[in-house]
Amino acid sequence: MLRILIEKEIREIIGSAKFAVIFGACAILILTSCYVGARTYQANRAQYEAAKAENLRQFEGMTDWFNIQQHRIFLPPQPLASLVNGVSNDIGRTTEVWGRGELSAQDSKFGDEPIYAVFRFLDLEFMFQVVLSLFAVLLGYDAISGEKERGTLKLSFANAVPRDKYILGKIIGSLTALTVPLVVALGIGSLLLPLLGVPLSGDDWLRLFLVILTGLLYFAAFLTLSIFVSARTERSSNSFLVLLVVWILCVLIVPRASVLLAGRAVNVPSVDEIAAQKARFQQQQWHEDRASWSNFKPTKSDDPNAMMDELNRYMEEQADIRDKKMQEFTARLNEQRYNKQVEQQNLAFSLARVSPAATLSLGVTSLAGTSITLKDHYNDEAKAYQSLYANFMKEKTGTNPGGRMFMFRAKIEDGEEVKPEPINPQELPEFEYHQPDLAQSISAAALDMGLLAFFNLLFFAGAFVSFLRYDVR
Amino acid sequence: MSELPLQSTQPMLEAVNLTKRYEDGVLALDRVSFQVRAGEIFAMLGGNGAGKTTTINLFLNFIEPTEGEARINGIVTHLEPLKAKEQIAFVSENVMLYANFTAIQNLDFFARLGGQTHYTRDDYHNVLLRVGLAKEAHHKRLRGYSKGMRQKCGIAIAILKNAPAILLDEPTSGLDPKAGHDFIELLASLRAEGKAILMSTHDIFRAKEIADSVAIMNDGKIIMQRPAAALVDTDLEQLYMQYMAGRSSELVG
Repeated sequence: MLRILIEKEIREIIGSAKFAVIFGACAILILTSCYVGARTYQANRAQYEAAKAENLRQFEGMTDWFNIQQHRIFLPPQPLASLVNGVSNDIGRTTEVWGRGELSAQDSKFGDEPIYAVFRFLDLEFMFQVVLSLFAVLLGYDAISGEKERGTLKLSFANAVPRDKYILGKIIGSLTALTVPLVVALGIGSLLLPLLGVPLSGDDWLRLFLVILTGLLYFAAFLTLSIFVSARTERSSNSFLVLLVVWILCVLIVPRASVLLAGRAVNVPSVDEIAAQKARFQQQQWHEDRASWSNFKPTKSDDPNAMMDELNRYMEEQADIRDKKMQEFTARLNEQRYNKQVEQQNLAFSLARVSPAATLSLGVTSLAGTSITLKDHYNDEAKAYQSLYANFMKEKTGTNPGGRMFMFRAKIEDGEEVKPEPINPQELPEFEYHQPDLAQSISAAALDMGLLAFFNLLFFAGAFVSFLRYDVR
Repeated sequence: MSELPLQSTQPMLEAVNLTKRYEDGVLALDRVSFQVRAGEIFAMLGGNGAGKTTTINLFLNFIEPTEGEARINGIVTHLEPLKAKEQIAFVSENVMLYANFTAIQNLDFFARLGGQTHYTRDDYHNVLLRVGLAKEAHHKRLRGYSKGMRQKCGIAIAILKNAPAILLDEPTSGLDPKAGHDFIELLASLRAEGKAILMSTHDIFRAKEIADSVAIMNDGKIIMQRPAAALVDTDLEQLYMQYMAGRSSELVG
């Protein structure tokens, strides 16, 4: 019996013009988003390589590592970030690394090219969140009420058909008929990526698989929700209206409203406020330091080079002390701000998770490594690089480049200036960005994937119970 | 599903004091009783709201009786609905079926849903030809079918179920005269096969032509019930109009 009902459902859906149009549109959009993602990745990769080369080029011709104080590192484009943008276009990608001090990433994609910020990208997350959920509604809103209107429900129940089997067949059949073609389209889209020049590691494939699985859970949640609402209404027009309102609330309103509410409920000090406090403290430090500079007395005042070395060391010591104080002060401010931010984020996300759309966003961005934690992760990676860079420069020059004064040094041997050899900028340690650990990403997404599974069960149970009491006449 | 002998004395369909009062207090059916034996056609005549469709819905267990029982082959429908439904086939007033399916696909689905999994394509073609649907239409989607063609498919589905009882809710409504005539012939052949047929209709002439018993219903009650033999020389239309006008008390006597 169940098999007969499932087969009928699949056959009915696949044979409908509505399915042909919607699935055709879905397949085109999925393939387009994969193609656009691949092209975007390639363009970003080319920009990244050019920026890296340009960064090293500025050091060409230099003859003393001592003259390099800072250089720039760049967040490399990640293959999955092209498919699930998350916050990757909103955060700064370029960081000026000195030997010490706070790091701040600049030049976000949307900052540099605001045109993209106007309508955002057509990525896979958008496809699932907006397009596929809407299609699920369009395909499921008349699952039960439509059958009643067409009279087929009455005719079916003139037979010895248990209601639980009927609704089970309806849901399984609908899910199968609609998700299998989507899986095919998503599979083809995914396989296109390496062909279009996007290198995917084993980890990336697993992440992509989980992103697709999360998206399908989300799609299934909207489909079972549609069947649930359809089993609660007598007319498909009412069912469609209810679902449209629910869709607008889930996809457009709840995620935004939760952020606004959390913003109201938890006050986070603004960046400007923090920056002003830091600037005041820094100024105070400078004043204190400047007063102490008059105490500097060189021990070898007859040798200018030795004197300058001594001055540099003194200045570096001062800078170290100043930097330590500044770091402590900044760390305190940052921690306070960070704690407030975390509190605000947790509240916003908890509220937003009422909506499957928000849950999808949080889940897939965690899996793709483009969640809200990307900024902190990049900053941590940059900090790790900063100490690598500081050690390298200390090895080359004997000092940390972040605290010394810029100057020209001449090498004198036997009373004559030695013509210096140019440095090789390629020796600079390369910034290697590591994505968040896969296990860490999965653990971050597990709650959202679990919630989507729960939404499925909830709507499934709702549809099941509602249909047991449904008036089939 | 066993077929009963043509001359069974046990009622195949039986309403015993069947009463239905809806939640809003409306009394849709008031202590209705009748019996339909195998090889008999029982026609329920009456206006809109008379209780004909409510009676059929009670036999199909789409609603439960407030009092009394509907029995199919002795099975009380609201106590054992699934078992009861195995004994019954149903044709609604406006057969819609699945518009994206062909006639054959519709037949295949509903036959298997009715527990008949052994039919072949030829069986489907044969039954469609029997109900008068031309072969060219068998593989066309029902989207383009007329009401008469869909009705024929509905009858074909009922035949394929091979149930001993058939419920027909306004089956000739909206059919052209030729289709109506063909339909009556088909009913006669089903009766000859021993089917017990309960039919609600507005069509007095068809009812008189085919039914073995005729009941006139009004306001949820059977106000007149007679065997067809007793109506041979009666102007049924006039009788119906008189009953509808409320002269039942003087006419019954």
